[in-house]
Amino acid sequence: MPTRHTPSHRLLLRLLVAAQVLYVLGVAGAGYATTAYGQHIALATTPVDLHGLQYESFVRLHYTAAEAPLTAWRGPAPPQRRQAVYVLLTTAPDSLASVAGVYAQELKPAAGQAVLRGWVTDVYAHTLGLRYNLERYYVPGDSPLRLGKTGPPLRVQVSIAPWGQARIESVRLLRPTAAR
Amino acid sequence: MSRKFLETESPAWVTEGLITEAQRERLLARYPSDAVQAVGLLPLLGSILVGLSALSVVAANWQRLPTQLRLGLLLGSLVAAYAGGEYFLRRGNRRVGHGLIGLGLVVFGASIILTSQLYQLVGYDISGLLAWVVVGVLLSYLYTSQSLVLLPILIGAAVQTYCTQALGIFSYTIMALVALGSGYRWWRRPDTLVASVLAVGLLWQAALWVALSHSKITWFFIPAMLVYAAGDWHRDRPAARALQGPPLVAAYLFALGLALFGETDQYAGLLRPPVLAYLGALAAVFALSVAGKRQQGRLASLPDWLLLLPGFYLPGGLPLAIATLMVLYAHAGSVLARAHRSGEAEQLTLGTVLFVIATMVAYFKLTWAFLDKSLFFLIGGVLLLSLSWYLRRRNAQRLAAGVASVASPGSAAASPPSPPKPLA
Repeated sequence: MPTRHTPSHRLLLRLLVAAQVLYVLGVAGAGYATTAYGQHIALATTPVDLHGLQYESFVRLHYTAAEAPLTAWRGPAPPQRRQAVYVLLTTAPDSLASVAGVYAQELKPAAGQAVLRGWVTDVYAHTLGLRYNLERYYVPGDSPLRLGKTGPPLRVQVSIAPWGQARIESVRLLRPTAAR
Repeated sequence: MSRKFLETESPAWVTEGLITEAQRERLLARYPSDAVQAVGLLPLLGSILVGLSALSVVAANWQRLPTQLRLGLLLGSLVAAYAGGEYFLRRGNRRVGHGLIGLGLVVFGASIILTSQLYQLVGYDISGLLAWVVVGVLLSYLYTSQSLVLLPILIGAAVQTYCTQALGIFSYTIMALVALGSGYRWWRRPDTLVASVLAVGLLWQAALWVALSHSKITWFFIPAMLVYAAGDWHRDRPAARALQGPPLVAAYLFALGLALFGETDQYAGLLRPPVLAYLGALAAVFALSVAGKRQQGRLASLPDWLLLLPGFYLPGGLPLAIATLMVLYAHAGSVLARAHRSGEAEQLTLGTVLFVIATMVAYFKLTWAFLDKSLFFLIGGVLLLSLSWYLRRRNAQRLAAGVASVASPGSAAASPPSPPKPLA
């Protein structure tokens, strides 16, 4: 079977390599498609520590939506650490999204609502710690964040694709006038 | 056999009349000096350094590069690695060729990860990285290369780790891809290193599954012993034993832990899955293993299963500790008995070590609380010394008898890695 340098072998490898290239292009396409067809929401963060940028290419975002009161939990059983959850957010154009409920099961958002998937990181006495996998923001080379010394709170524009992917579209200062 | 060994030993062979001078020269010519090969490594090292410099330039400026350029760089290095691999393979340089193909596979995984990062994109299932494992398994079928078979096993374990830790899901697809895809590849072309890595990789995934599902840790031994049973069905004996090594080591460490800490009912309580379900599953795997052993004529290795006796269902406390110790002794004894029958030096050593460990555990358990500490160490030391003296004498006798029966006078006993042939 293997390593006969027959034309069919070479053809198989070429097909496999072409499939890999197409796949990576598909991942890139999913990035554009998520912006084009996704639902756009804005999330606020707490002040961001920019010191890490000297050593790493990303900053760690801590969303205000990363903490929800335990009363927002909607599930048959109490939440567990590392459990996958569906976070229902209320949105309005030009305003920040806020957590309306944390669900154990998938649900359909109504108008003015969005569902972002996440994970439970901690269960405290009165609150839930949440993680969205959107915490690492790779700061582009031309971003104003690279110039700032202080860590301002940010407004993160996220788009959620109907097929279950999400991406950070852009990151801006939460209060442009108050910056620096 | 190394060139150096030949050079130092062969003059003595000529004087003893084993080979003639002409034969000696022909032997030396057959194994050319290593110096030539070492010089051949220089271009490889040079190109690695050049590659590293290019990589560091790109990595340092990665965030500043335009998106399309970054994507282009990833795809370009992906295609270049595969094309280079094919080029070197066609020229007959298998090592570099397979290395570059493996690099292509690694670049593919890196491209998936870096492209998602490029668009700040997150997915909530593993489909993104699943493709990496699929491509890895397919590639391993296209080439006869050990490293290309090892790569998807390692990638599968890494992706599964990411899945369970970051996404909180266990991917049965990845487990199946590695077990069936890489497993069948190994089955067709058995290899001891691949067997061990495959077994460790599968056990790692099984452990992740147990941890994620909050099951009793004893469930781990159902998939682990399935790997073991698969080894029983394989005709190639060394490769099968290599596959069975990791599950056996895991079972042994578990039994050892039970003997050491099993007295507290709290620990034993953590181990008790529902009786019927667990024993039913274990019996099914056991039946599969026995059938395989019978078919391949290896029923002598049946005592391996002693380690899997579900002693943890016994009430915790002394009964459990003693029962586990008996099992450890019985297992060590069975390994020694088997080694004595076959006369294999490695098995003898293994059996001896297992026997000594069981004795140490027993001694520790039974006397630590009662004896004065200095007396404890003194008696323990004397016990071990006398045990080692006795076992060593027995082993030496056994091996000498084995050598005599093969009727090859000489220094065969001095080379334990090539044991004398088992008695018919």
